[in-house]
Amino acid sequence: MRLEALAVILPEVAGHPNRVSFEGVLTLVDEPSSRPPSGARGHRVILTRPAAVAALPSLLGMAVDYTPSWDGHDARRKCGIITQADVAGNRIEVSGYLFGKDFPEVEEQVRGSGPGTMGMSYELSDAHVEDMNAAVWSLTRATFTGAAILLREKAAYRDTSFRLAAKRCRTKGLAANATQGEKPAERPRRMYGRSNWQMETGKDARWR
Amino acid sequence: MEIDASNIFDKLNAAVSLLERMAASLEQREALMSGDVQKIVAAVEQGAEVSQRELELERKLAAAEQLIAELRAQGSTAAQSVRKTLPATTTQLLAKGGITSLESIEAGALDAALTGLSLEQRIAVKAQLIRAGAIA
Repeated sequence: MRLEALAVILPEVAGHPNRVSFEGVLTLVDEPSSRPPSGARGHRVILTRPAAVAALPSLLGMAVDYTPSWDGHDARRKCGIITQADVAGNRIEVSGYLFGKDFPEVEEQVRGSGPGTMGMSYELSDAHVEDMNAAVWSLTRATFTGAAILLREKAAYRDTSFRLAAKRCRTKGLAANATQGEKPAERPRRMYGRSNWQMETGKDARWR
Repeated sequence: MEIDASNIFDKLNAAVSLLERMAASLEQREALMSGDVQKIVAAVEQGAEVSQRELELERKLAAAEQLIAELRAQGSTAAQSVRKTLPATTTQLLAKGGITSLESIEAGALDAALTGLSLEQRIAVKAQLIRAGAIA
């Protein structure tokens, strides 16, 4: 399986009170959205794999936001940050952390909701549509400008997900938090001997 | 003279507004032609959501379609099983007349096979065949 992965490696701070690790499936590539996204003029959209891979760097460092009714985006309510992004199979998997101390209501909502209740939604800018007259818009270029945590039923892609780590630790706990029968997402590994705050790209093998 | 100036000013204003609208329209058309979209958010637009009522109707429709399919399948099975219950004497009678399969009986062949029977007997055999679903 080909895996495109990128990560911003931040210094680890054990027991950081304001970092709550999360991971999720942001969207699908090469598959039409379940419903028309906002801004697509009623068209369902396909984010093509080349466009997704090219746009992956723009995703890192972008914020996740939420609305109190968990049904959309509010760019003024940034409650976390994306630090890793992978294109694994047909899924864009992301991870990062929430500002758990600043936004306890977000942590409460996500932990309190049942499995599969919460999902994610991307926000794209400067997108290019291959054929505006097509029934399903094919996006050949885009820039990620953010993401939202929302109820999965409110997402244009039904197969997104969002979950928190069990502990307030950046890299631990996600695998333990995986639900039974669900394989935790593979993630890029830290490249020891290199400085922090760097960004690397490549296949999964490069990180091992 | 003042009236003329005001009139001209109004006309100029109207012309400027028209030009502005045209420019906006052209920009929009250019964006459409180029395929560029400023912003897309992968959340369902408010108001574009499927209502609970629609979801309920969709569920009911799916259930009804499934029921119809099941009934059709049952009907087909029932018809096949009924055909098997055709009395042996009738089957033999038809076989003597050259009709060995009940899948497709031609009217002429059936009449020929029943030639030796009385009117009542012919009616009885045809009634059995109708009940068995062999003829309509």
